Amino acid sequence: MIPALQHMGDPATRSRRGHRSLARRTADALGRAVADVLENDELASTPGLMQSLDPRVKLVSILAFAVATSLVHSLPVLLGLTLTTVAFAAASKVPLASFAAKVWSTAGFFGALLAAPAATAWITPGPVLVPLGPLSVTAPGLLIAARLVTRVAAGAGFGLLVVWTTRWTDLLRALSAVGVPELVVATLAMTQKQIMSLLRTVENMHLARESRMLSVGTVHENRGWVVERMAFVARRSMKTADDVYDAMLARGFDGHMPSLAALRTRAADWGWLLTSAAVCALALGIDRMVFPL
Amino acid sequence: MHIPDGYLGPQTYAVLDAALIPVWMIAGSKVKQALKAKQVPLMALAAAFSFVIMMFNVPVLGGSTGHAVGATLIAILLGPWAACISVSIALVIQALVFGDGGITAIGANVLNMAVIMPFVGYYVYRLASGDAPGHGRRIVASGIGAFLGIVTAAIAAGVEFGLQPLLAHTATGQPLYAPYPLSVAVPAMAIEHLLFFGPLEAAVTMGIVAVLAKQDSALVEMKPASKPLRWLWAGFAALVLLTPVGVLAPGTAWGEWGADELRRTLGFVPAGLEKVGGLWTAAVPDYAPAFIANPFVGYLVAAVLGSAAVIGVTWALGRLLSGKERTAPPTPPSGRQP
Repeated sequence: MIPALQHMGDPATRSRRGHRSLARRTADALGRAVADVLENDELASTPGLMQSLDPRVKLVSILAFAVATSLVHSLPVLLGLTLTTVAFAAASKVPLASFAAKVWSTAGFFGALLAAPAATAWITPGPVLVPLGPLSVTAPGLLIAARLVTRVAAGAGFGLLVVWTTRWTDLLRALSAVGVPELVVATLAMTQKQIMSLLRTVENMHLARESRMLSVGTVHENRGWVVERMAFVARRSMKTADDVYDAMLARGFDGHMPSLAALRTRAADWGWLLTSAAVCALALGIDRMVFPL
Repeated sequence: MHIPDGYLGPQTYAVLDAALIPVWMIAGSKVKQALKAKQVPLMALAAAFSFVIMMFNVPVLGGSTGHAVGATLIAILLGPWAACISVSIALVIQALVFGDGGITAIGANVLNMAVIMPFVGYYVYRLASGDAPGHGRRIVASGIGAFLGIVTAAIAAGVEFGLQPLLAHTATGQPLYAPYPLSVAVPAMAIEHLLFFGPLEAAVTMGIVAVLAKQDSALVEMKPASKPLRWLWAGFAALVLLTPVGVLAPGTAWGEWGADELRRTLGFVPAGLEKVGGLWTAAVPDYAPAFIANPFVGYLVAAVLGSAAVIGVTWALGRLLSGKERTAPPTPPSGRQP
């Protein structure tokens, strides 16, 4: 299903300390990026709660959840919203371990790093919970940090649900349906295809370099090579743009973008939209009335 | 620099998201005027390039790697408005396809990386490269533009973070979103970009411009100075003329106290500060030239002298680093716009 994009480490291009070469590391990262997109499309095609929704309804409802998350201030309600993302993921047959790992790696980890100093007396004075001198953890500091990390995790979770349960073509249809100009939608569609093409090109460049190298190379050599390859990609991008336009003209392009196929909402979509609105309102109501600041 | 959801409150992200709609409309109109129907594949490829350039690992000191944003480079290749659209599209795809950067924070991310960075980078590049026909000075100018572009964008992100405790907090003053005040957030963002990401962005941009200048010089040629650059000079002159307003502000900027003020405030002057405080006597202390009695006129004259010195040194450095290249004037390419 997924092409052979995972590369095994080759001892010949490892440094004395066992580190992989720059070319290998970059090729692996690029391969992972391509594989992620293909896996997302595969996951979005499997039956599940979020996958069954009209993409417009899904987009609007997730946006409502993201806005509600930004408006909520109490930790229990934020935790509830975070658990809601997990419940939606489970109902959509999204692998929960991967979901949690992705949310944590993209948002939670950096959120925690950023929030950690705010938990200390250095930034937030208050009653000390863990005495560590100027870096003592204070009660209000811990609350501020926990609130930030939980909100970031919930926001990332809702965002990831859109990414993982919506095919790119459906997302474009939804954007088109909610009023985004056709020209922008067409550019987005073409960009995604070109990104995949350029990622493959750049991955192959790195693999080709990897296969020719007998050592990991010096920092100076590697930097020079990377910059030269970036310049090549820039030139190729500009040239490909002309080629793509020529191909469009050859196929009869007259300046108008064809509309994507129309979407149809079902009763279940309206039900979902109403339920989402009710859950958001409930979360805000509990936040304001049960846990006032 | 990709801000996820949760760091910015609704007062900030709603304003930034709404403010970008007219910016995108103007950018679309400008690009359409210059590029006609070819805009779609060109914008798509530029956006794809913008995305991919962020995936190149560039080796830096100590065996670690970093990545460039490339917004200034794209502005140099395609013009700032086209760069604005291309980088915006790349950021939207990063958020919607790869989950990098928040949905509500798209406005802030676009403002920092697709508006501030390419525009500051491009106009600094134009200013620093002047009308020099050779490539040497332009290569240096591209580095200066890229450096200042990313540092300015980082400071903007720092301001957005630092405003949160002021805009949204509890009755007891606890911040509800990004928790650090301006005095922490701005220096934190500025310092890491001044010391690490700025030099990296500058080195990558200079390297690519140098390679392109050698292999396909039409891509990095430049049109003669156009209206926006003249407006930049006009804006600069207006700011210089407005500098005397600063005399109306009482007190000294925080952390810039002299020994006399410290003595008045604290009752003493720290020994170390007193020892090294008098090592250097400025030619024009307190922005007040000794030969001018009126403080407003003195402040204005100081602004003119200081600006002239900065422009002169930058111009001289550019000349020096460019090796005084003089070649035939370039032919403007057809695909770019100012």
